[in-house]
Amino acid sequence: MACIGNKTNLKAALSIATSALLGTSVATTSQVQAKDADEWQFDTAYLLYSEVDRVTAGEAIIAGTKTYANDEILNLKFTVDALTGSSANGAVAQPNAQTFTRPSGNGQYVTPAGETPLDDTFQDTRVQLNGQWTQPLVENITGSVGGHFSKEYDYLSLGVNGNLAYDFNKKNSTFSMGLSYFHDIFTPEGGIPKPLSSMLVGDSSSPEWDSEFAKTRVGDSEDKSTADILVGFTQVISRRMITAFNYSYSMVDGYLTDPFKVVSVLNTEGLVQDNIYENRPDSRVKQSTFMQAKYHFDEGMLNMVADVSYRYMWDDWGINSHTIDTRFNIPVGRASYIEPHLRFYQQSAADFFKPFLIEDQSSIDFISADYRIGEMTAVTVGAKYGVVLTGGNELSIRLEYYHQMPTNSGFAEPAALNGLDTAPVVDAIIVQVSYSF
Amino acid sequence: MWLKSNFIKNTMVNKAKKIIIPTLLINLTACANLGVEPWERDLLAKKEMALTSSPVDAALDDHIYFSKEASSGGKSFGGGGCGCN
Amino acid sequence: MMQEKRTIKVSKQKDGYGITFNAMACSCEVLIQTSDKNLAKQVGLCVSDEVWRIEDKYSRYDRQSICSQINTSEGRKVSIDEETYLLLNFAEQCYQLSDGLFDISSGVLRKVWAFDGLSCECQHFPNQDDINNILSFVGWHKVIYDRHSITLPNKMQIDFGGIGKEYAVDRCILLAKQLTDKPLLVNLGGDLAVTGPREENQPWQVAIENPKSNKPEKKQDMIIAINQGALATSGDAKRFLIKDGIRYGHILNAKTGWPVAEAPRSITTVAPQCIQAGILATLALLQGKDAESFLTEQEITFWARR
Repeated sequence: MACIGNKTNLKAALSIATSALLGTSVATTSQVQAKDADEWQFDTAYLLYSEVDRVTAGEAIIAGTKTYANDEILNLKFTVDALTGSSANGAVAQPNAQTFTRPSGNGQYVTPAGETPLDDTFQDTRVQLNGQWTQPLVENITGSVGGHFSKEYDYLSLGVNGNLAYDFNKKNSTFSMGLSYFHDIFTPEGGIPKPLSSMLVGDSSSPEWDSEFAKTRVGDSEDKSTADILVGFTQVISRRMITAFNYSYSMVDGYLTDPFKVVSVLNTEGLVQDNIYENRPDSRVKQSTFMQAKYHFDEGMLNMVADVSYRYMWDDWGINSHTIDTRFNIPVGRASYIEPHLRFYQQSAADFFKPFLIEDQSSIDFISADYRIGEMTAVTVGAKYGVVLTGGNELSIRLEYYHQMPTNSGFAEPAALNGLDTAPVVDAIIVQVSYSF
Repeated sequence: MWLKSNFIKNTMVNKAKKIIIPTLLINLTACANLGVEPWERDLLAKKEMALTSSPVDAALDDHIYFSKEASSGGKSFGGGGCGCN
Repeated sequence: MMQEKRTIKVSKQKDGYGITFNAMACSCEVLIQTSDKNLAKQVGLCVSDEVWRIEDKYSRYDRQSICSQINTSEGRKVSIDEETYLLLNFAEQCYQLSDGLFDISSGVLRKVWAFDGLSCECQHFPNQDDINNILSFVGWHKVIYDRHSITLPNKMQIDFGGIGKEYAVDRCILLAKQLTDKPLLVNLGGDLAVTGPREENQPWQVAIENPKSNKPEKKQDMIIAINQGALATSGDAKRFLIKDGIRYGHILNAKTGWPVAEAPRSITTVAPQCIQAGILATLALLQGKDAESFLTEQEITFWARR
């Protein structure tokens, strides 16, 4: 019995051989309608993200793609995610217990001695809708437009994007340019805190509480807008290799502070005197360069496909980062594959990042102790296993381990913090099941 | 525990510069000779060889890293979307 | 060799015209949905000219064809044009994709396999030695070719029969599309393709022999609605051998030299281009009893008759 390659390979290869013979371009997706077969292709996935002792999130996606007669493609995607658990609020651990006020102002929570303060009020569900329409415009030029809508209890995000791609050199090279614009409105429970003001801690059931709390607020909601430009170039190197290079420039303006995060103000011994709300600049310009290569090995190397990419990002907050991502898709038998994955990430701290403030330091404009803009190294290790079922549908399962380690960008620790874990590691497990049909 | 990492940081940046610049130059000069004939696209047409072979996985990962790190996008648009960062 | 008369006949049909002619040893027709008789005639002449051109160029029966020139070259280099080069390339692709099962140099195996149409039980099975001898003259990997020439080792033969008719269908569609936007269908003896749906997005109705009907008297055609793409039929209904109760079709496995056992009597496949449909049908038949599951796995629409 002959061993003819997997289904996509044969059909696609025949289509390409035919186009070479007849000198026309032939779509690899079958356009034949001998009985009205106009079908949607669906991809669904369910993901569970779980940090040790912290946040747990679940996300479900269903995406549908339909290709029309003239190579037009419609893609619709619906996403739901829910978040629960606790997240670091920016304050440092102390040798004694600490009390913090919830972001809503209704209630307090206590962090035990020696532990990293975590706010566990985060529980939110988000719904997102995306639509994208792609179609050939003229010979060798393809255009695409899309929209985004996302809503959670306290956050609304609306976005649009457009993109043009030009193929040349027998479709071996593609140059593309895209623009996107997002407008987000944030209405946190408890309102927007006055930047750098002290967190009010006391009895939230007392009669004066509400008016005192209101004094620490400057508004109910804020917004921000993000404009991105993305320029890309892809090049087929050989029958086995394809590469891509991107450059992006992004400008964000508006409210970029995290209203739920504080910075601990310590005396020279390291004991907390006050917690103040953080404050970030109202604009951020980010740039990144990205490059990727994919190579299809032959039987000697298990017919695997290697995917390696590198991204370098830098912005005007002083953050720069390196991301190296590698994946190896290894076919197993005729209808399944295993794909190990390794990602390495490193970022530098924002200029205004300080894990804590020492009392007598000079006055500041911007400050944040949010570990997510601090110096860190993170590693992801995982693997995905997929199988094509009879009928052509695909089922896959992905398991990943994410390990994030904050590193010290040069802050000396006062005495009281000795022995305390002031840079806690984040460990998370990711499990995802996907089904395509 | 804090780790001292300035040395690592500088080496990484230098290494990155050494990789980016030569790669860009090689790419710009060699473009015209690279590529395949339409009938040689059998492997390239496979789903595994697409630059983003699983858009759903990529979207899920982007959301996770956008929430836990300070960088986003690069391969695609990174803007807006949710109140995570 | 009796040459068929080369004329076309234009006849008015319900909502268009039909042009019929004979070529490649079968009846050919073009259906066009237009009220313009001159256009129908113009398309008919264009299509029939193209089919006859391809027949003259690639038929192994025609002594002046390029195919015959190559087959009588006795190992010498023969120069070829762009079209022949593309066809050889396509044959090469099919050879690779089928792991050597589909091989246009396998025609010589005919010399040891005698299929006759009428009798079923056949005693003329060659022995393995005869087959091995002939197999030394089979093998696409032995053919050397490039853009400008082909060198076929002595005593080897190539045969475009497996792809010629379907290629002609696709070429006719291309040429017809350059002449008119009107919906049309080109059918060369059962291998057919359409330029698109009929007016008002109505499908073309095409009849194929009912796959479930085994009694020739009760032949009920099955109607397929086709909007785009092509149909091709590969089969051996009339040429087969039966030995020890096993049915062997006339499709020969180029690697073993034996006919494929337990293949369906015919397979009709659907694909965007006729040549693709044809190759898929042939590749399926080469799978023998696994023909149907091969096509199902590849997600090809097909009808098989056993």
